[in-house]
Amino acid sequence: MSLLPQWLAELAARTRALVRGLTQRATLEREMRDEFEHHIAARADDLMRSGLSASDAQRQARREFGHANTHRMDARDAMGLTPIAQLRFSWLDVRLALRILRKHPMLNIAAIIALAVGIPVGLAPAHLARALEASLPSDAEGRVRAIRHWDPLFSRVAPTSEADFARWSVAVKGFTSVAAFRSTLAAVAVGEASPSQYSAAQVSASLFPMLDARPTFGRTLDARDFAAGAPDVVVIGHGLWSAQFARDRNVVGRSLRIGRRLYEVVGVMPDGFAFPSNEALWIPLRAAESGGAAERSRVQVIGRLADAVSDERAQAELSALGVAPLVGSSDAGEMEARARLRAEVVPFSLLFLGLPAGGLDALPEFRYVQLLMFALLLVACGNVAMLIFARTATRLRELAIRNALGASRTRIVSQIFVEALVLALVGAGIGVFAVDWAIGKVNIAQLAGEVALPYWLSLELTGRSVVSALALAAVSATVAGVLPAILITGRNIASHLSGASRVRFGRLTATLVVADIAVSVAAVGMAFAVSQHATDLRVRDQALGVPAAEYLAVELRIPDEAVEDLAIDQREFVAALQREGGVRSVAVSDALPGMDHRSRPYELDAAATGAEDDSRWVRTVNADVEYFRSLDAPIRQGRDFERGDADSAARVVIVNTAFVAQALGGGEAIGRRIRFPSSANANDARWYEIVGVVGHLGVNVMNAERGEAVYIPTAPGQVKPLRIAVRTTAEPAQFVARLREIAREVNPDIVIDKASLLSDLRQADWYLVMGLALGLVVLAVVLIALATSGLYAMLSLAVSERAREIGIRAALGATRGALLLTILKRPLMQMGIGALIGLPLAARFLYELTTTPGGDGSTAGAIGVALALTLGIVLFVALSSCLVPMRRILGIEASEAMRAES
Amino acid sequence: MPQSAELLAGNLDLVILKAVSLGEVHGYGVLLRIEQISGGAILVQQGALYPALYRLEQRGLIAGRWGTSSNNRRARFYSLTAQGRKQFSEEMQSWQRLVDAIALSLTATPNQV
Repeated sequence: MSLLPQWLAELAARTRALVRGLTQRATLEREMRDEFEHHIAARADDLMRSGLSASDAQRQARREFGHANTHRMDARDAMGLTPIAQLRFSWLDVRLALRILRKHPMLNIAAIIALAVGIPVGLAPAHLARALEASLPSDAEGRVRAIRHWDPLFSRVAPTSEADFARWSVAVKGFTSVAAFRSTLAAVAVGEASPSQYSAAQVSASLFPMLDARPTFGRTLDARDFAAGAPDVVVIGHGLWSAQFARDRNVVGRSLRIGRRLYEVVGVMPDGFAFPSNEALWIPLRAAESGGAAERSRVQVIGRLADAVSDERAQAELSALGVAPLVGSSDAGEMEARARLRAEVVPFSLLFLGLPAGGLDALPEFRYVQLLMFALLLVACGNVAMLIFARTATRLRELAIRNALGASRTRIVSQIFVEALVLALVGAGIGVFAVDWAIGKVNIAQLAGEVALPYWLSLELTGRSVVSALALAAVSATVAGVLPAILITGRNIASHLSGASRVRFGRLTATLVVADIAVSVAAVGMAFAVSQHATDLRVRDQALGVPAAEYLAVELRIPDEAVEDLAIDQREFVAALQREGGVRSVAVSDALPGMDHRSRPYELDAAATGAEDDSRWVRTVNADVEYFRSLDAPIRQGRDFERGDADSAARVVIVNTAFVAQALGGGEAIGRRIRFPSSANANDARWYEIVGVVGHLGVNVMNAERGEAVYIPTAPGQVKPLRIAVRTTAEPAQFVARLREIAREVNPDIVIDKASLLSDLRQADWYLVMGLALGLVVLAVVLIALATSGLYAMLSLAVSERAREIGIRAALGATRGALLLTILKRPLMQMGIGALIGLPLAARFLYELTTTPGGDGSTAGAIGVALALTLGIVLFVALSSCLVPMRRILGIEASEAMRAES
Repeated sequence: MPQSAELLAGNLDLVILKAVSLGEVHGYGVLLRIEQISGGAILVQQGALYPALYRLEQRGLIAGRWGTSSNNRRARFYSLTAQGRKQFSEEMQSWQRLVDAIALSLTATPNQV
């Protein structure tokens, strides 16, 4: 007994029958014929039994049955298949569509541009998601997964250690092998040459076999290289082999220096292998010697799923195993942080990109972007539908004649669909080709602020993306072609035979044009405001609080060094810099002004402002006690850090003015207490006392007032990552080479990374905002193009349909202005309404973003200029759509127009 | 020979459902069965039979399958689905109510007015 309600069961049955009718039309027709034949034969048998001869019985049976074709048509009607039966696509339709393309070039170019933008834009999010979740190039079967810890509280990847690796290697049976690796930077020198920096990876013995990565020369790392006391060996990548060894085929056995140690080259990997991202060399990851060290030694872990083991099964096994508690730790905060972690099996790319287990699809923001992109495609389709409506309207007489000659409505609609499909395929083809070209030409890594994209990430178009583009083209053609075709053939098509009746654009098309213009104006205004704000040096300087152009910012990395040694290196390096002529000051922290700052949840003491909001977050900076003096940042209230403040017992912090305003409501800060309860470090979970207040120091460059920060004095060796800002008297960029020399003199293992001017640093928000501005500009351009084409379509149609009327009015002495106004009145009104709706939106946005407290009054002027510019662009482009129709109006000769009509 | 009855529009589906409910049967068989169970009173137009069968199949009330008929020919056999059984029972009741109401109306006497 079916559990479905009757109506639902009937709907399901009807849908099934319809799908069968669509997909198996020939089979259905054949079965119908066979069934009728059986009927006639069975009746003939009966008639023969009653005494008729075989031939008479056949004849009689056929006569009684009636006309089989009529029954077939009735049967098709009964099954709701008549429209499907009338659908016939032929090459003739395609040829006709191509002819129409040539006949209305302007309309078609506009439609193709709309779809060439809309279709790739609609596809982009899914393509990106697929590209980011691709498997490693050497993993053809897609069996390599990352095993990681995920911190649900902070929604981020949490560290995994050598101890975790060891445990998973033994206990997880769903993987045939498990490997660990750690990325680092290496100062590499061959012979007496000065060292160059390369990304390196320390890898476990199982890594190369797991990835099925084979060398071009020599061998990869194997078990003997991991034994205690084994000689130092290195496998180098194709790039390093080319750059440092001039592609010497006898490179195996030669040596190179990494920091202070000499390594023997044992193999060269082929071009294109750069696991895990863009690494140039691989050295053995030797197990930490004691249990405690293994717990602290961070590595990343991957595994190869065993045959027939699904991700779900491996995940279930890992979940059952749980996250091991920290051995030998008595720190409650650390234990608690560890306890909330989740062990996960995820695609390798997710480990690398730090995305949650579901990938991009799991991010609500990504869903919104996807929706937005589809909305844009829908708008494009709506506009193309308007163009096709206009184009079809000019052919009503032709369609009416075809209808009179026997073409059904379905047949006409299907032909218009083919025309739209040809348009959509051309648009999709151009769009896909343009995207493919752009991917090849544009340095995407640079746009994303990276040196290079990971070697396994390819944004190139795949077959699947092309198929998706074709499918989207078909959907677009259905929306943009079938709807207007149904609309236009819906009325009595025969009435168009005389050419007397007229098709008019309805409210829907008017609304579309108004909406296009309104959104274009708003988008152009917003893009202007956003980019203006992001590049406003006044806002930036105010937020940075330091003369950033005078500082050189670098990150120091010293691989595998104990805290004590780090402290010595840090002190020596800073002292050496301070001794250097031309260096004015040296500031040390884990986040310099203008960089991204780490956020943590915090609590204030009992005498807090009264808000019991325990989910407040603040950015924290671990800074050297000389930090503010080095940056020349005045202390606004209280005192600066003192030498003893970095001791863990001192427990003092300095907050900034944004924190005082936002978290303390502008009240007294000195003497108040703050703590970080969910910190992994139990020391931080205890109270700190606020002893001073500083101004803005580039915590949130886009919006200084919302850049609340707490500065924690930190002893040398404990600032991680170790970032240093060096203020020089001369051009800071010229100091980079000398800075590297000083680093080498202090410790050859020191790697200087990410050297740049402090003023050139950009926070993630900046890229986001500039991306938004760019997106808005693209949106505005597309919408303006669509609105222009829509207006052009409307005007062209109006001119064609009213040529006779214009001719008569011209003959009766109407002025050119009056004639133009007849046709242009409506579109001009629509543009005006659109601009009136869009302008306040743009103005509001401009005001919000460009008005800063204590502004100097230049903002109003900037808004005025921006609005005038915005309106000017939109009106210029929109009016340009009227040019061709205007020329046609003015060129209409009364006698010719009337003769043509008659 | 019994007098043939005019089949009211819309009632053909009900009669076909009844015929099919008595056992799996092919298209020509439906025609014969209706003639038989109505005592020859209902003669279905051959042209109306197949559209009705396809309509019922499309609604999911009957299901067709290809098989071999008694004279060893390939034929399409129809049977009632669960949904069809339910629909048939509902339509039967509705029909019965209508027949009762009409019968009652037609046998009314002046005293009842």
